[in-house]
Amino acid sequence: MRIRKPGITLCHKVLFMIEEKKVGLPVLTLDDLTKSYGAVQALKSVSFEVPEGSVFGILGPNGSGKTTLLSIILDVLKANKGNFLWFGHAGSKEQRKRIGSLLETPNFYHYLSAVNNLKITQSISGRGNIQDIDEVLKKVRLYERRNSRFSTFSLGMKQRLAIAAALLGDPKVLVFDEPTNGLDPVGIAEIRQLIIELRSNGHTIIMASHLLDEVEKVCTHAAILRTGELLITGKVEEILVDDDVVELSASDLDALVNVLKQLSEHVLSNDQLNTVQVTFPKGTAKLDEINAFCYKNGIVLNHLILKKKRLEARFFELTNN
Amino acid sequence: MTQIIKTEWLKIKNYPAFWWVFGITALTYPGINYLFLYAYHDIVSQKSTTGQVLKALMGNPFSLPEGWRTMAFFSSFFIYIPAIVVIMLITNEYTYRTNRQNIIDGWSRKNFMTAKMIDVLLLSAIVTVLYVVVVLFIGLSNTNMSAAGKWDLMYYTGLFFLQTFSQLSIAFTVGMLLRKAFIALAIFTFYSIIVETIAVNVLHYQYKSEAGKFFPMEISDRLLTKPVFLGKIDEVAYQQSLDAVKYHVVYSIVLLILTWLFCFWLNNRRDL
Repeated sequence: MRIRKPGITLCHKVLFMIEEKKVGLPVLTLDDLTKSYGAVQALKSVSFEVPEGSVFGILGPNGSGKTTLLSIILDVLKANKGNFLWFGHAGSKEQRKRIGSLLETPNFYHYLSAVNNLKITQSISGRGNIQDIDEVLKKVRLYERRNSRFSTFSLGMKQRLAIAAALLGDPKVLVFDEPTNGLDPVGIAEIRQLIIELRSNGHTIIMASHLLDEVEKVCTHAAILRTGELLITGKVEEILVDDDVVELSASDLDALVNVLKQLSEHVLSNDQLNTVQVTFPKGTAKLDEINAFCYKNGIVLNHLILKKKRLEARFFELTNN
Repeated sequence: MTQIIKTEWLKIKNYPAFWWVFGITALTYPGINYLFLYAYHDIVSQKSTTGQVLKALMGNPFSLPEGWRTMAFFSSFFIYIPAIVVIMLITNEYTYRTNRQNIIDGWSRKNFMTAKMIDVLLLSAIVTVLYVVVVLFIGLSNTNMSAAGKWDLMYYTGLFFLQTFSQLSIAFTVGMLLRKAFIALAIFTFYSIIVETIAVNVLHYQYKSEAGKFFPMEISDRLLTKPVFLGKIDEVAYQQSLDAVKYHVVYSIVLLILTWLFCFWLNNRRDL
């Protein structure tokens, strides 16, 4: 896990990599990316790397800069400052041809059929061939509607066509911006399964999402953004185990909260579940000592457990929501 | 380049609205010229003195070589029809946000703009071919086969192409700037027919200034001079307009280059 280090140049990064004896270049390297829309700063010096073979989740609340970031690496937006490297080289059209991308809403010619739209994707990117178009349409369950106009598709079907376009020609790197947008529960489960399959086949997937449950289920790495600022990045399990979370319960919840506040600043009571959650720095929560402390202060616990923090909790904590 | 043309063809070939407007364009050019031809025949066939005087004054503006000039002039009135196609082709990309998808899929911004320039170039070429076909049909059927110099004014084909490409490029620029088909078309038509016409005439008649000849549409409008019979109203001014054509060829080419440089620059600069 790496917390943002402002001022690190690309040269330093290369030196770090040599020192760390990493094999192979990262698929994507962001260095000091900054983007403003007038007075609004959408990205503030964002730097991180996406390792090969990872499923990299980019998380953040609405307006945190996720789509702006993806738009910059796909050359749709121009950064005000900083740069990015795909496969160790500056971004170019040749690099983008090797990447299957779905950015924001599905963008297709409304008057053309699914097949004819994918022919345009194929013609521009050079990925796949006519047979591959049928294959990807089957994969996203649109084959039966392949000759229907895009304008007749439901939101979910449009999203699936966009995923089909990204999968065309089996690119090794995929960029998905909210890939489950508009999908029904079955569609969401299918996309989750697809991402897991792609990962096991060695694909690298960069995925922006605000569906934390999805990210937790499929991502190996993540970066969390808030109002354009990178808060944390690293392996998902490292982000999750950053703190120890202890869940407790007693008959007098208010008294329990008061006692626990002597142990930690981060005490959160849940009246509905009748529990209290206390956060301790990583590796410092000793359940027997907490139990003894509570007992000494007149509280008899009826529930005490060390919980693995959910990504959702970590996310809310980091983004102050 | 082949890949760019192939991709543009994939976008157009199954686009019904495009073919409808294209069909209307294909009908308009012969239509307008036949309309004027019938009007001409109607006038000169009159046995009255007026009819005979007009016949003597006009000659046959539809016979070759004069037909090249006459039909280029009348055909140029309908630039607004292919302009609809051009505006549709660029604003559609913004409406469907496919311009950004093309970039995401692997085109450079330069590729995208080159594709659009080829569209405008090809459409100008097709409209020019239509003009030539109309001239050959009407012109040859109104010309004595043994007449000399039938092809003398054939260079009007080049002038017609230059004017069409120049004015469609302006329509494209308006579409690119405004991004909405209806607004772009309304502004383009309003500017061309009303604003520029009034401005040029006010400058000419009220301020005795010829600055109007440098207005975007006027620069190439002056490539195609009036038919000779209309020039007889003021022969000195007509001769001046004929003499000025060579300068307007240069002005039009310069404007064309500036127009496309601006489009490439703008597309490269702005966020998609």
